[in-house]
Amino acid sequence: MRPFAPGAEALFPELTVRIAATLARLREVQGVTVGCSAKRAVWSCGKTTLHQYLPLAPAPPRARGRPVLICFALVNRPYVLDLQPDRSLVRRLLAAGLSVYLIDWGDPDDAERCLDLEDYIEGHLGGCVRHILDSRAGEALDLLGVCQGGVLSLCYTALHRKQVANLVTLTTPVDFHTPDNLLSKWVQGLDTELLMRSANVPGEVLNGLFLSLMPFRLTQHKYVRLLTGNCDRRTLEDFVRMERWIFDCPPQAAVALAQFVRWFYQENRLARGTLRIGGRRVDLGKIRQPVLNLYALEDHIVPPAASSAMQRYLGSADYTGCGIDTGHIGMYVSRKAAHSVPQRIVAWLKEHSS
Amino acid sequence: METPFTRPAFKPDAAFASAAERFFELLKTFGMPGAAAAGDAQDWSSLAGTLAGQFEAWLRSSQSAGPWFAAANAASPGPGGGFGAAQPGSFGPLPLGAGAAPQQDAQRTWDLFARLAQLQGQLASHWSEIANSAARRFITRLGAAAGGAPTLDNALKLYELWVNCAEESYAATVRKDDFCRLQAELANTSAALLVEQRRHAETLVRAFGLPSRNEVDALYAQLKDLRRQLAELTDAVPARGAGAKRRAARAGGTRRRNRARKPRA
Repeated sequence: MRPFAPGAEALFPELTVRIAATLARLREVQGVTVGCSAKRAVWSCGKTTLHQYLPLAPAPPRARGRPVLICFALVNRPYVLDLQPDRSLVRRLLAAGLSVYLIDWGDPDDAERCLDLEDYIEGHLGGCVRHILDSRAGEALDLLGVCQGGVLSLCYTALHRKQVANLVTLTTPVDFHTPDNLLSKWVQGLDTELLMRSANVPGEVLNGLFLSLMPFRLTQHKYVRLLTGNCDRRTLEDFVRMERWIFDCPPQAAVALAQFVRWFYQENRLARGTLRIGGRRVDLGKIRQPVLNLYALEDHIVPPAASSAMQRYLGSADYTGCGIDTGHIGMYVSRKAAHSVPQRIVAWLKEHSS
Repeated sequence: METPFTRPAFKPDAAFASAAERFFELLKTFGMPGAAAAGDAQDWSSLAGTLAGQFEAWLRSSQSAGPWFAAANAASPGPGGGFGAAQPGSFGPLPLGAGAAPQQDAQRTWDLFARLAQLQGQLASHWSEIANSAARRFITRLGAAAGGAPTLDNALKLYELWVNCAEESYAATVRKDDFCRLQAELANTSAALLVEQRRHAETLVRAFGLPSRNEVDALYAQLKDLRRQLAELTDAVPARGAGAKRRAARAGGTRRRNRARKPRA
């Protein structure tokens, strides 16, 4: 016996045709655009740019309430949150009448090799917060941190409690030493001093690391799946948009990356309460604002336990944690999550708007 | 080695073509003509051996272009670059005459390349373990799925089973402490190689009176320190209505008013 009954060769011509057709269609849709909502740059610092999204419909500014600042990870591009009209967290927030800002960290060049986490948290994120509050004469904003951006947001909120009214975190790790965290296991032996002395880390290197967590699914299986069923033009366009985002990773400033690996992954300082930024202790217990923490139940990069641990360390009496049945990236773009995640965020922010 | 996943400009069509090619190869293995009749144990082991061999070859090729080797690839000298191109015999200090690295520096770099090759050899034993374990799992689970009509649906079901087995075997190995240590050492050696090569370059640029990376870094640190001092001084000025300016200066940021964003280089 063998996996196929005799005559498997008969399948090959059909398969060849299907492969050729899929390949041709993939090439046709390679020019798809990413990002769909209108925005303008309102502030910058180094390579970091703060964008303000334009409202979908004219409305008096007061009606839009407290601004929401989205702080994305340093390791990926933020446009995944506004990938296309039917998969855009930003658009859903705008549709709910919220005033939305987003930080794009840009590409640090070699001269910025020494940018550190204090620069990013106090200088860049802090600069964005101050600019928004100054320009709107406001006292506090709502901060929405995504993945590593959620970690930066937690640090900022703990250090600047008055400037953040509500905190929302998506796929954000807090305890980096949960047993199921493969990435954490892999980087325990990294020499971060050496990493600091070497050059900026190219985005492809980090992306390769993420793909190595599940190499067959992420570099083979997902492409072969295109051969199944009805893979129409729209499905292929969605696929290519995601591919473009996945493989479009910015380089990482050597010092900031080394600090992140050491302080968070190796020494778990955020959970242990030993993290210091700019000489000040980051104490999550001082976060007393309402917190909504959404994490993915099938996350291979940030295991759910790494994120759900947040509740144990926060000082907030108003914490809502919720596991969503999807993966890390699915949290931002899967059809299922594209509806439920923004809906939860909008409802929660509205509840906490006063 | 370059794969569709390590190219700076990623092309999904190339990645698809590569994955489809693997899939095709796998199907040919599933339907290998000349396989023995039903129930023949030798047939299974022969299939397992072929699957493991193909799988190991893929692991070696794709992982040698993976994250840990990328830094070494980027830094490796000589025509073509890449880890594979950096054979000890072909490596030497940058051929720039007067500023060429001293002999002991070249030796240190050579040693690091040799260490990388050694570690890659150790990694290969893990790939072999993963490939054999995946093939065994696949054969064990094949059961009712075996002997099906050769349709595309059945082929995809078999493929799904194969991917599950491969991921499970991979996950079991890469979580082991010795694998994690090896991965870290690979990354550290690659980083050390990069640092070493930068040191060579520093020697060269100093010889030509050019500013070096270390000097630029020192200037950056100085600038940062001055910014901090400026922010402290500005904070100390009790001027009314200067809050916004002060805070902007502290962040070193600039306000943009309705003007188009400059395109990035």
